[in-house]
Amino acid sequence: MHVHDDPDVEAADLAARLRSGDPEALAEMYRRWSTLVHTIALRSLGTREDAEDVTQQVFVAAWRGRHTVRPDLGSPAAWLVGITKHRIADLRTERYRTHRNLQAVASELAASPVTVDDANWAERLLLVHELERMGDPRATVLRMAFIEDRTHEDIAQALDLPLGTVKSHVRRGLIALRDRMKEVERVSSH
Amino acid sequence: MSHPTEDELVDLAVGDDSVAASVSAHVAGCDACAATVAELRRTAALVATAPAYAAWQTPGDAVWGRIADEMASDEMATDDRGAGGGGPQGQDTVSLTTDEPTSDDLPPTGPVRREPATPPTGTVRREPATPHTGDELAQRRAGRDERRGRARRLSVGWGAGLAAASLAIGLLAGRAIWQPDTPVQPVAQVALATLDTKQDEGKATVVRSGDGLDLTVATSKPLDAGDGYLEVWLLNADGKRMVSVGVLAPGDKASFPISQTLIDQGYVIVDISREKFDGSPAHSGDSLLRGKLPA
Repeated sequence: MHVHDDPDVEAADLAARLRSGDPEALAEMYRRWSTLVHTIALRSLGTREDAEDVTQQVFVAAWRGRHTVRPDLGSPAAWLVGITKHRIADLRTERYRTHRNLQAVASELAASPVTVDDANWAERLLLVHELERMGDPRATVLRMAFIEDRTHEDIAQALDLPLGTVKSHVRRGLIALRDRMKEVERVSSH
Repeated sequence: MSHPTEDELVDLAVGDDSVAASVSAHVAGCDACAATVAELRRTAALVATAPAYAAWQTPGDAVWGRIADEMASDEMATDDRGAGGGGPQGQDTVSLTTDEPTSDDLPPTGPVRREPATPPTGTVRREPATPHTGDELAQRRAGRDERRGRARRLSVGWGAGLAAASLAIGLLAGRAIWQPDTPVQPVAQVALATLDTKQDEGKATVVRSGDGLDLTVATSKPLDAGDGYLEVWLLNADGKRMVSVGVLAPGDKASFPISQTLIDQGYVIVDISREKFDGSPAHSGDSLLRGKLPA
């Protein structure tokens, strides 16, 4: 259904290898995506300590739950990000409990829960990552269309591309990114 | 009518004027297509707010070693059961020649595409292009830092013996490898003494618990709470800050969840105070026992 570019096919192969129990596939995934996972955790939680803990947990969970990766969905990056969201939520829950415990002394103290606004860091950083690896002109077209909010005609003129090509990049690109978001949702919500 | 194409739905989602009226009409009455349009719009909105500069941050070098340790202890547990599910087992000759460069010098963001490792069904392990000489092996053994050493155990650790060895090394290195059946290793421990006479009347122990730390406080005899209650604190070594860890219920032992961050920030002095029911969350100043956790 979707046309995979080469990096995707290669990444899907990685997912298949992980699924079959190849520890080297996990090491390769760590090389490729630990920075993505760690940065999401760092933005969401605020400290390197927590971010590194989450990074560790995510890759251990990826290994233990390798049967849940879906090689047919292409790159396992979104799958990892889904696990990351899940772990961050778990850590927050745990923090909240600790926080309540800290407040056990004075029950009348205003219970201000630990911040839970994650500002969609997982999705937003995954999108940045996907745009970075998507290559041009597609990535540039998408940035101009959605970040700079320029019309397709304007983009076509600026990049000296046929209008049909610009539209095609917007369609393929947005559908690919939407698929990533769905995968994050699938993994993080169960 | 049949559903519009995905392309048409994208056009609708991004507000392309050229979308046929029949497409909008269909979406208005079709939950599945409306959901797709909503997903596409949400994605577009997230792209719009994506940071222009991601400021990527690489995790510390030690993180991969900790992951490899957990994988190795999983593997050992699997071998104990003698059942599959944990990857290739027992088929590797345990020798340093199985030392693969892939996990040996793991570059977290390394751009180099590595050779795939031996598939789990394979019985022959890929050998390095040139056999190691004895000198080379000695040099490699000696020259590795901790991260490399642990990463190497990942690649050779798939035999039960090596997995056990790696566990032992991990413990020797003072690393408490968390496993449900493994007795917990204290991270730190200190005697709690009275402030005036310096008599040992208790003990504070920090153990790793799941993802966090637990502080356990035990006293040799129940403390006198007077007409108030007992509270456990972590005082900062700077002498200026403190956090309440919890209330010490009647009895002589209790555990409280704490975080590594607290310890790292210098909250290392365990203090038990007598508090009055006066509504003040602050420390009363009436400390009974105190001890400083070793760094």
